[in-house]
Formats: sequence, structure tokens, C-alpha cells
Amino acid sequence: MSITTITFHEFLDSAKQFVQKSEKIGDGWTLKEDKTDNLKTYLRKDAFVQCQDENMNHLLKVEYVIFYNLSYGVPSFSFNAWNSTGTLVTLDDIRKMSFIQINEKDFYSVITQQEHPIFQKPYFIMHPCHTETLLAAFKNKTKNIIVTFLGLITPLIRLNLPLEYGL
Amino acid sequence: MAASENQEGIIQYVPFMSFVHPSFWHSLTEMKLDVDKLNENTKQIWGRFTYRSSIGAVFEVDGTSFNKVPENEQLYTNIKGTIMNKNTIEEFKSIDKAALLNSVGKELWASLQDKSWISKPSSLLKFIILSFADLKKFHYYYWFAFPAPSQPTVYVKNKSANITTQFDTNQIAQITQSYKSLELEQKCFFAIVKNNDTIQLKTLSDLLDTKDGLQKDVDVSSTYFVFNDPSSGDNPGWPLRLFLAALLEHCPSLVGSEIKVIGLRCSATGGVENSHSFTVVVPKDVKAVDAAGWVGWERNDKGNFGPKLANMSSSLDPVILADTASDLNIKLMKWRLVPDIDVDVMKSTKCLLLGAGTLGCHVARDLLAWGFRHITFIDNGKVSYSNPTRQVLFSFQDCLNGGKKKAEAAADGLKNILPTAVSKGIAAHIPMPGHPVGESLKEETINNIKIITEAIADHDVIFLLLDTREARWLPTLLAAHYGKIVINAALGFDSYLVMRHGIAGSPPEESPSVGTAFISGNSLGCYFCNDVTAPGNSLKDRTLDQQCTVTRPGVAAIAGALAVEILVGLLQHPLRINAPAVYNLNSDTEDVPPEMQGVLGPIPHSIRGFLHSYQTVAPTCAKFKQCIACSETVINKYKEEGITFLLDVFNSGNYLEEVTGLNELHLSAEMTDILTLSDEDED
Repeated sequence: MSITTITFHEFLDSAKQFVQKSEKIGDGWTLKEDKTDNLKTYLRKDAFVQCQDENMNHLLKVEYVIFYNLSYGVPSFSFNAWNSTGTLVTLDDIRKMSFIQINEKDFYSVITQQEHPIFQKPYFIMHPCHTETLLAAFKNKTKNIIVTFLGLITPLIRLNLPLEYGL
Repeated sequence: MAASENQEGIIQYVPFMSFVHPSFWHSLTEMKLDVDKLNENTKQIWGRFTYRSSIGAVFEVDGTSFNKVPENEQLYTNIKGTIMNKNTIEEFKSIDKAALLNSVGKELWASLQDKSWISKPSSLLKFIILSFADLKKFHYYYWFAFPAPSQPTVYVKNKSANITTQFDTNQIAQITQSYKSLELEQKCFFAIVKNNDTIQLKTLSDLLDTKDGLQKDVDVSSTYFVFNDPSSGDNPGWPLRLFLAALLEHCPSLVGSEIKVIGLRCSATGGVENSHSFTVVVPKDVKAVDAAGWVGWERNDKGNFGPKLANMSSSLDPVILADTASDLNIKLMKWRLVPDIDVDVMKSTKCLLLGAGTLGCHVARDLLAWGFRHITFIDNGKVSYSNPTRQVLFSFQDCLNGGKKKAEAAADGLKNILPTAVSKGIAAHIPMPGHPVGESLKEETINNIKIITEAIADHDVIFLLLDTREARWLPTLLAAHYGKIVINAALGFDSYLVMRHGIAGSPPEESPSVGTAFISGNSLGCYFCNDVTAPGNSLKDRTLDQQCTVTRPGVAAIAGALAVEILVGLLQHPLRINAPAVYNLNSDTEDVPPEMQGVLGPIPHSIRGFLHSYQTVAPTCAKFKQCIACSETVINKYKEEGITFLLDVFNSGNYLEEVTGLNELHLSAEMTDILTLSDEDED
């Protein structure tokens, strides 16, 4: 049986490459390295997103964080969003604003609010359980596992993945 | 747009929209509590806006705003500002807003007069935050202002156009390159000079004479004044208002002329191809900048000039953080595994725990873990030195000075674990059958009965977690009378019993036949239904419910956990207290018909466990019509006679057996024994 998980060093290498590319095309991803606890290293990008619910337009700032999930051995995707006053958006708001393109039935099984393993604060986290199988299919064919990983997620989430990453 | 291409209109500046990062409030709070305290002095802070043509004129502050030196982020302009944080909401409301704005305006006015803005163009932009932080509630009232002079009023000719109408692709690439090498301080406002095909970027010091007017060699018709433009629409952003005011103040020669302006808007990679060009027309009779007359307070969400409110309690108040974080665990069950689970029912269910000992402490902790928030204890004891090792809500401190009252110490312990728990302790002795009440104690006993009765009536669930059998009698009767859910747990040395009770009423009409598979919840037996003696003498040698303190320590943890799990199972069943219990509950719960199951599966009547052999059984028993605690006879007698009946029971160990006819049953039971023996003799 082949190993399908990704080691932390593979994650870190890919993350470094990914950030270099991001800097070149101005996509805004940064690598926050934690020298004392290496496993707490993560990728981060802040962006404004215009969201709509029934009656209002909301400008939200969203913080996207990709971190290494040690127990699943895969990259994990998490985010938080807040409005102009700095108040964090709730999970229900996230669902209502169709910030994520998932039907209602599956919504709570894909996105849940959890204490973030790095920040110890509630974040919206995408459940990592299918990531391994999905990534396994690409593992030896991809140039950068982070790009592949984001490619799997961006259809669901309002996050732009410029084509330049593929070049 | 109705406006025709060549029409001149009053220039419309796009105001900034403030956008606060949660970390800003975090830093402000720390600063207020640790450094400023009651000091109201204004403080210098940093804010920034981006001219990346994307989202609009957003002005951001965050946790780094309080740093001495701002963090430089690409394609962002940092702006120096001040925050004035008031100590009371009254001061926040009553401060003269116009005067505050004008005081900053005066500083700007001074920098126009002494010409210092020319070498430091970014000093033209300033902002103010007026705030009041209610740190008890983590509510922040705040109001941003971006001071600008109300004069001069100028016009724009034509609609704004893309920069490509003024420069070709090569020139744009050249601007992009030169802009990147401009000094940081000069990037905010500068000029582009176009001579035929050559492009040159000039700082304001290159362009303007320090005394007044333009440098001699400057030709306005080939000069473009450039500003970092946060706007993403047709109108120019707010910084242009200050730039034009300063330019006109410095160069009277520009009055009555047309000025070419570029609003610099960058792409993600720093290219300037999205920039806009504006033609500004300065009328001859333009008014000059005034030392007073400054504008710039931000409108709130309703579109009025007024403060905004940030309610940060859910992310900053540690008490609320603890509450929501513990709720998350239960919501995760719903989101991930049990979508039909009702997470609110636990929060609204009030639990009364009779006994705050080993069992009571374990049950309370498990209730808390399941999201219950209303937990009341009744116990008459005090915390002793032997308690904390087994009774998990107590610590050494509780034992000192004679010991705290257990009920209160347990409630305090819970609130220490989760401050949002609604918990209290009631110190009251539970009167027991066969424990005569003398005249001297009569009044106190009656008072205790009243306290216990009220407490039972006030709660939804009654846990019997006592260390004697007799003490369970009164609460069993009262809870059956009031139709409350009763969860009963009793311990032996290495065995335990956890069960739920039925409610008052007659037992099922037909005696269960072999074909019956279940008993409906209300007809289930109570703790006393299966006993054929009335409680009276606990010195008799029983294994269960004798001396709670002589148990294997794990027994209380197991029984306490099962008691809470049975309750949750019951609450998650649509029939709640009426949820049926099946006779034959085995590990194959798939065989149990769905209507017998709740969201969390079937709910047993009782669980008996034996730690010696690590075995568990789940017997189901119906009500006993002569039960000394929950039968109709007893309940009716209580309804008729009230406290008099109860006192009779406490005073005589046999009274209950007489009332229910149990003594007659004893006689017939003895007859049966004799008959059986004689049968065997025949064999």
C-alpha cells in the first residue's frame, strides 16, 4: 500500500514555493513560520469579499489560513470573517450569505466552527477527512500540493485561485 | 448617466469607509486596562488604505495600529492619526465634535502655512477616532473622521477616463517602474511630467517652490498631479480633496485654470494601468482654505452622521468565549454525527441534584459537559477532609475552617468551571420514613419539606444521588406527584443501579403478557416498586445503597455518567418522560423498532452493573400497585392529608406498609413459601 499522507516537510516545501509564486503574481499569501513550534507554521491571506444575504450587501474581510493537520497528515483549510466593526461572522451568517457553494444539507458536514489548533480561537474549518483520498490521486503528478489542494477547495469557497499558479 | 460628456460638475470625493480588524479592539482593551487606565490623553495611531483597485475606499485599522512604527504593506498608504478614548459614554456623547475636527484642521492648516507638507506630502492625510470602550460588556462605540477643508469647491470636466487615454502602454510601464523606486514618503502625492514621449516622475519638492507657486520650469499643461486613489469608481477618492486644497493654497496661479490629475490605482502586481485621469477645473472665484470649517466625520450604517457600535463580547469576553467554546463541542455532534439532536433542550432543562457527594459531583460535571446550564444542589453536609479526592467539585480549600456547606461549595465549583452556569446550593435535610421527628424538630422538618417541595416543583429533572434508601422516599413521592423526570443512582461496594422512574398514576391495566415487548415510560416502576419492604432500617445488611463511601471509586464515576446519559437519551426522545423501555435490550439495537428509540437510541428503564465481573444488565419493570412511594394509594393519601401524612410516615416505620397493604402481602408471600416447600417435599 502506498503512503497517501503528506509529511510536514513536504507541506512546508510546497508552502514556500507557493508563497514565492504568490508574491510574483501579487496574490497576497504569506507564510507565517513559527520557529519554536514548527508545526504551527501556516499560510495566510487576507481579502475583502462582498457578500449578499436576503436584504443587504456586506463587505467582509476574510482571513484564509492553510495549516498542516498532523492527525490527518494533510493540509487543512480554515477561515474567519468579520464585518467593518470587527465583529466576527457566525456560521449561520456564512451559510445564509452563500459565501460557500455547498447545498444546505451538506453544509454542516463540510464546514464547522471549531477551536483552531493553532490560534485556540473559534475558526471555520473544512473537515479534512476526504482530503487525503482526494490528494492521493494527485500526489505524484502535481508540481505543488498546495496548489492542488486549493484547486479542490476553491470551487466551494469565494477564493480566487489565479491560473498563473499552474504555470 | 444623464450627464453629458462635456458637462462640468462639482467634484464628488468618495469618502473613506472605516474597517476595523478585531485585533484593534483587543489592543485597545489591553492598552486601556494596562497602560492608560483612567488617562484620557489622545494617542497617536496608524491607519492605512490601499489603492489596489479592488474593493473601494476602505480605511483599515488593526492591532498593529498602536505600534510606534507602522508595518509597511505593499500597495498600502499608512496614515498617521489620533485616537481619543473617553472614559464614559456621557463624555463621548457630549464632546464638541466640530471643535475636535477643527483642532486637527488647525494642525493641517499650520503645515500648509509653514510649507512642511511639501517635503512630507503624506502629512496632509490624517484621521481621528473618537471612542468609548465599555469593557464590562465589550461594547465599543466609535466614530472615525477624515479631516478635510470644506473649501475650495472645484469642478471636474468630462467623466473620468482610464489612464490609457493620456499615456500609451510603454509610458504606463515606465510610470509603474519609476513609481516603485520613489521614496516611501513621496509615494502618496507626486507628479508626472510628460514631454513629448518622455515621462518623468517628480516629487513635490521638485515641482513646487518652497516659498510659493510652482518651480519656474514647470508647465502645468504637461503636468499631471498624482495621488494614491482608494476609490474604485468614477469619482476620485478623499485624498484628492486635501491635495487640491494644499496645491491651490500654495499656487494661486492655478486659480481659474484646468489641472490634470491622475488617481493612481494599482493592480495586484503593482502595475498602474487601472489608474484614472481627471480634469479639474478651478473657478476664478474659488474660496480659499479656511482655518476653521473642516469636515470629515464618517456616516454610520444608517447613512447618518453618528457613531458606530462594535459588539465584541462574543470574541473578547472570556466568559462568553468559554460558553460558546463549550457549546461548540455539542454543536459539532449535531453537525458531524447526529443532525437531529436538539442542542437547546439541555440548556433549558433545569436539574435538581439531591445529594452533592461523590455521585452529585460526577453527575453535575457530566451535565455541564452535555450543555446543561441550570443545576441546583440540595445537601445538608459540609465538605470534610476526606471528600475532595472523590468528590470532584471540591478542593482542599473547601475543607478549611470546619468546611463549606456542600451544596454551596458544589455550586461555586461549577461556576468556577463555567461562569455562565446557573447554579445554586440549598442546605436542607431530607426527612426520612422511620426516623421519628420529635416536637423540637417538627417546625424545622416542616420547613425542610416545604423547601424540598418547592425545589422539586421548580425543576424539570430530579436526580436522586443520596447515600441512603430512606432519603429517596420523599423526593420519589413528590416527583411522581408533580410528574417530573426522576433519575436515580445508588451505589454498592462494587455494584450500582441507575434508573428512571415513571410518574404518578395507576399501573397498566393488563398485566404484561409474554408478547409484550415494552413498558411505556409513565408506567415504569420507581426505586421502591421492586421492593416488598418499606424503608425503615438501613442498618440491615444490603449491598446496594448502604454506605456510599465504601465503594470502589470508579463506581460513582460510571453510575454518574450513566445517569446523565439516560437523561439526555430521554430528553432527545420525542415522548420524553413517556418514552417506552423495551424488555429485552441487547446490543443489537437495530432490532428495536424505531418508535421505541430516541435520537440517541433506545432508553433503558434501569441499568445494574457489577464491577466484580464487569457485567451490566438492563432490566425493565412495571409499576407496583402497592408501591410505598409512587402508588396511587400513597399519592392520594399525600394529596388528602399533605404534611400530616408525611409526618405520620416519618414517625412510624410500619405506617407505609399498613397504608399500602404490604403487610398483608408479606403474609401471603410467606404462605407461598410454605406451599413451594411442600411441593418439593412431594418430589
